[in-house]
Amino acid sequence: MTEAVAAVEIEGVTKRFGEVVAVDDIDLAIGDGEFFALLGPSGCGKTTTLRMIAGLDLPTEGRLRIFGEEVGMAPPDRRPVNTVFQAYALFPHMTVRQNIEFGLRMRGIKGPELGRRVAEATGMVRLAGMEERRPDQLSGGQQQRVALARALVNQPKVLLLDEPLGALDLKLRQEMQQELKALQREVGITFVFVTHDQEEALAMSERIGVMSEGRLLQVGTPREIYDRPASRFVADFIGRTNILEASVESAGTVRLDSGALIDAEASTPEGSRVAVSLRPERVRLQPRGTAAAEGASLDGEVRDITYLGHAVVYEVAAGPVSVEVRVEGEVGEPFAAGDEVTVAWDRGAAAVVAD
Amino acid sequence: MSGVVEVGLGRRTRRGLAVWAWVVFAFLYVPIFVLVVFSFNASSRVNIWGGFSFQWYGEALRNDVITSAIRVSLIVALVSTVVSMVLGTAVALALDRYRFRGRRALDGTVYLPIVIPDITMAVMLLVFFAEAFKFIDSFGPRLTLGISTVALSHIAFNISFVCVVVRARLDQFDRTLEEAARDLYATGWQTFRRVTLPLIMPGVAAGGLLALTLSLDDVVISAFVSGPGSTTLPVYVFSSIRRGVTPELNAISTLMLAASIALVLGSLALQRRRASASQQTQVL
Repeated sequence: MTEAVAAVEIEGVTKRFGEVVAVDDIDLAIGDGEFFALLGPSGCGKTTTLRMIAGLDLPTEGRLRIFGEEVGMAPPDRRPVNTVFQAYALFPHMTVRQNIEFGLRMRGIKGPELGRRVAEATGMVRLAGMEERRPDQLSGGQQQRVALARALVNQPKVLLLDEPLGALDLKLRQEMQQELKALQREVGITFVFVTHDQEEALAMSERIGVMSEGRLLQVGTPREIYDRPASRFVADFIGRTNILEASVESAGTVRLDSGALIDAEASTPEGSRVAVSLRPERVRLQPRGTAAAEGASLDGEVRDITYLGHAVVYEVAAGPVSVEVRVEGEVGEPFAAGDEVTVAWDRGAAAVVAD
Repeated sequence: MSGVVEVGLGRRTRRGLAVWAWVVFAFLYVPIFVLVVFSFNASSRVNIWGGFSFQWYGEALRNDVITSAIRVSLIVALVSTVVSMVLGTAVALALDRYRFRGRRALDGTVYLPIVIPDITMAVMLLVFFAEAFKFIDSFGPRLTLGISTVALSHIAFNISFVCVVVRARLDQFDRTLEEAARDLYATGWQTFRRVTLPLIMPGVAAGGLLALTLSLDDVVISAFVSGPGSTTLPVYVFSSIRRGVTPELNAISTLMLAASIALVLGSLALQRRRASASQQTQVL
């Protein structure tokens, strides 16, 4: 982000519904043209945050700017943003064309410009020829496209998407992920989208903000979020991981509670409690006694084997803790339950998160 | 598999039920049939058939008292329907949307006119008008019962019926549609006009139809609050029946029957046209 003015700037925003704190003192800046995901479990405040940007909910405290303009308390019709709603919220009594025209007509655009922009939007989401249908005569995927066209036709400065793919089946969802990314590149508008699906967030966005219980825990690129989680929650929520309790021994080493001493970079002082996150696919399984020269390892015994087709998951008991190891692209199963093994990983593969 | 497995009722029971259904049907429609047949009776004796004739329809429509009663009924019905559609819908929206002081009390009492007996409502309204007139008259004007008090009374009970029907429709209303409209730059009023109202319109129309029927139907309340010259048709029929059933009354009743059947058929046709219109676009 090199832009001087952020597309969306959230400063100390809190939203309370009566006694319930839905969003708790959030600071966030989303860059111009960015594809940004708000990720978190249901009830974490991500949708409320999106609704505050749209103006459908007003913040209890804090400031909210869109391209430098203070809009925190402005009604939704005075904001240069449009929303794709979770269940699309298409107007059932209007045709596809009337749905798409709605925003333009409300701003007094008519005549040839109205026709041109509607045609452009329907073409962009490949809905040409369906203009006279009603929403209930469209498939889920087509309804999704109408919702997109209805928002994009207004050329908003920021497009907000609330679980845009949640109602689609898996195959269609994956297609739409690619299409949304391509669309965003094409129009160059800032996209802010809300999802509880971590794979979707990783696959689609340039940056992710992870939320839990109203707080923004970490903001970063998908790689940063996945490889360098800032907290135990983020490590656990994004992808599968093994969390091992530990404490910092010295600058470069961490002692697991099971007793093993491993090499890992910790940012907290000696003696502090930490958790070590080991991704199942970033660790290797080796016969006992062939530990890697570089990196760290744990000795254990294969407890259970799960065959997934494209991968095999081994459950290894290493003292009191259980470690999941995921092996992909291997022919046959070199290890059997009861085998003595060593779980090994490269030095950078383990992430130490503060407690 | 051969044949259909008999489930539930035995054959005798089913035949018995069919006969019973016909008995109920006859119970409902034989009196109406008799009324319609005798409205075309040429004889002036109600219970003796003297040949087919339109004579009594002519007599009825030449009778100034009857035509004036029809006129009053229609005016009262139209005015009270339109006004109660607007007010009833507004009340339904307020109760559905807003939390305000006294909302719960209003929620409970708005349905009162539906449950309390007509006669109680009639006495209440009469007392109310008397007191109100006494107060207003102290400033000069001389107010009396008339067509406007009848219309006001009909509005008073029709609001409740419209409100009930519209609220049922609002219960299924998806509020995110309004948020979508707001998000697409519609103001509060535009959102109501373009999204909310069209979607609750079937409820509003159904409530209006109900109000129209109830207004055309009402005897007790109208009888209490009408004054000279503001007699409605049902009130006229009721008061003249005390002097015995005349063929004229048969003719008027048949006309009223025809009018209400036309209303029902009209609303059915409207619904069907809407349904087939959306089906047609589906085919295209």
